[in-house]
Amino acid sequence: MIRFLAVVERDLRKFLRNPLVILVSIVMPVVYLVILGNSLQGELRNITVAVVDMDRGPFADRVIERLYALQAGPGTIMLVRVADQGKAMEGLKSGRFKGVLIIPTDFSRDIMRGKNPELGLFLDNAETVSADTLRMAITGAIGEIERDFLPVRTRTSIPSVREVNLYKKVDYDQSLIPGVVIMAIFLGTMTTGAFNLVMDRFLGIEESYFLTPLTRYDIVMGLMVSGLIVTTVLALFVLFASSLISGIYLWKVLTLHGFVLLTVIIVLSTLGLLGLMFIIMGRINHPRIVGVLGGFLNVIFFFPSGAIYPVESFPWWLKGFAIVNPETYSVHALRAILFKGADIEAVKGDILFLSVFAVVALLIGILVFKRGL
Amino acid sequence: MSYAIEVCDLVKRYKTVTALDRVSFTIEEGEFFGLLGPNGAGKTTLIRILTTLIKPTSGRAVVMGLDVVKKRAEVRKVIGVLPQAMTSDLDLTGLETLDIYGRFYGIPAMERKKRIAQLLELVGLKERARDLVAAYSGGMRRRLEIARALIHMPSLLILDEPTLGLDPQSRHTVWELLRRFQDSYNLTILLTTHYMEEAESLCGRVAIIDYGKIVALDTVEGLKRMVPEKDTIELSITNIGLDRAEAWIKTLSYVHSCVIRDDTLMVSVDNGARMVPVLVDGLRGLGARVTRIILKEKTLEDVFIHFTGRPIREEESRKVSFLIGAGVPLKWSR
Repeated sequence: MIRFLAVVERDLRKFLRNPLVILVSIVMPVVYLVILGNSLQGELRNITVAVVDMDRGPFADRVIERLYALQAGPGTIMLVRVADQGKAMEGLKSGRFKGVLIIPTDFSRDIMRGKNPELGLFLDNAETVSADTLRMAITGAIGEIERDFLPVRTRTSIPSVREVNLYKKVDYDQSLIPGVVIMAIFLGTMTTGAFNLVMDRFLGIEESYFLTPLTRYDIVMGLMVSGLIVTTVLALFVLFASSLISGIYLWKVLTLHGFVLLTVIIVLSTLGLLGLMFIIMGRINHPRIVGVLGGFLNVIFFFPSGAIYPVESFPWWLKGFAIVNPETYSVHALRAILFKGADIEAVKGDILFLSVFAVVALLIGILVFKRGL
Repeated sequence: MSYAIEVCDLVKRYKTVTALDRVSFTIEEGEFFGLLGPNGAGKTTLIRILTTLIKPTSGRAVVMGLDVVKKRAEVRKVIGVLPQAMTSDLDLTGLETLDIYGRFYGIPAMERKKRIAQLLELVGLKERARDLVAAYSGGMRRRLEIARALIHMPSLLILDEPTLGLDPQSRHTVWELLRRFQDSYNLTILLTTHYMEEAESLCGRVAIIDYGKIVALDTVEGLKRMVPEKDTIELSITNIGLDRAEAWIKTLSYVHSCVIRDDTLMVSVDNGARMVPVLVDGLRGLGARVTRIILKEKTLEDVFIHFTGRPIREEESRKVSFLIGAGVPLKWSR
């Protein structure tokens, strides 16, 4: 026991002597939240659209009025009046405009005659997100024009829907918190545990440990426990910081039971990832490989976890990976506890999976570790 | 006679390379034993087998009565090892290093504290004990590592190139420490080195290892006697002609040869130190004035060259991964 604790102490002391690593481990996930929360807001704004009015009739004016209303209201588009169709198309190709709306000659007359006039909408579909948004926004505006000229009928047979939210509204940046916590856990497990083993090996320090009576279990469990302590503290700190930044006050939304449950999820997720890192990095002897693997592993575990986009929307093969990805269960459980006030019953499946994963990963990690040169 | 180390027909092969080839020798308790060899001769491989870090392909090695393959954990408890590379944690202080290692050996807190204070005093790091190892010089780091190797009071201290890369002053400090520890703790010390001066200064017996084989083993003096080359006395004289002096020297029975080279008489004798005054007196008797005398005694280096063929041999290149340089995997290496 005294030997194992000495390994823990040695590792913790070394970690504390590197405050830059501590700072980066805390700041990176929080910065990630801020950047992702503000760059992927769902609604696009200020998409530049050129309008070429070749009709100059009353209905063309109404279309343009609607578009101006869209600009002044939700701000989805930014309208630019262009007289020459050719110049508008050039602007589209050069990237100045994301779309060009052509109102053809006789547009107003066709409406008056009861025909179905067509507006030309040219889209820069190389940027699919803005093209889709623009299509929806302009179609919506034109739809309203149409309604202006159709007889108003009350369609009593169509039932109306009243929306009721079960839980308190969760903003997009708030919805990222579970993912950010998981990212902090991932970074913590990358920079502690097995990574220290790789560094010791790289610096030639491990030889001196192998010359002592330390057993394989002393070394692996010592590194695991120190990694668990550091990562859990980091993850809790990141949870508090990211919650505050996104406007959630944990002391208001979490009960003591909820906090304990949340900590259990963090601990189990950490143990599982620490074990996984031992399996992957147990025999690596160069930190460069860890650097290369780190970015790759973060992507393949983080994005299919449901932290950014729902798992249900994945293709079958990615869904298959998500099922065995421990981060999927961590994100699910954290989301349920944070936003739904879930109790142990609601997350027992996640706890079971994370526990089994942690035990298996730790055991394989110990077996893979080679105590010798 | 009890042996601290018994090695019998030890072989270590790495695929086609034989790093150790039927090595056999014994080291008595309390002995200061040197293993001398060029880089890549097999010294570190032998040390790593004796310290349980690697397993031999065949043969047997027993350390303090314990088989290094069958009783690995027990062997680790009775040996103190100073590996070739600097292996102290840069992010720990000297004090923390010794304390943590003391705990690795399960030494109780009070005893640990006492030993650490004693060792820090002995290696001259008491004042710098609370500084980070990163702030230590190479010599200080080495002294700390010697203290670390002795924290559990081992019966056998194994040092793999302990002064490699140190400046001459630090090297002498380490030698002094080792002598003091051997006297104070009645330690058996096994030291590998490729510094002749180190082996000559510290070791009672020396084994010369080359290409994985022990090619000679004896006391330093015994090894010197095995070499046919003699001591050389270089003499510069005035007042009489060199030819006359050469003719007279050649008549002496204890002189093997005498030649004139660059206005200097080169005299080959068996025991140079004893013959210098005899020669000087004789030359004075002939009316000569001796202006310069250089005695070149047979050194361990001569012995080494005699047995290995060359003074320094370049180390065989290490295998490096094709995929990531010094990283893994080494299977696909260049």
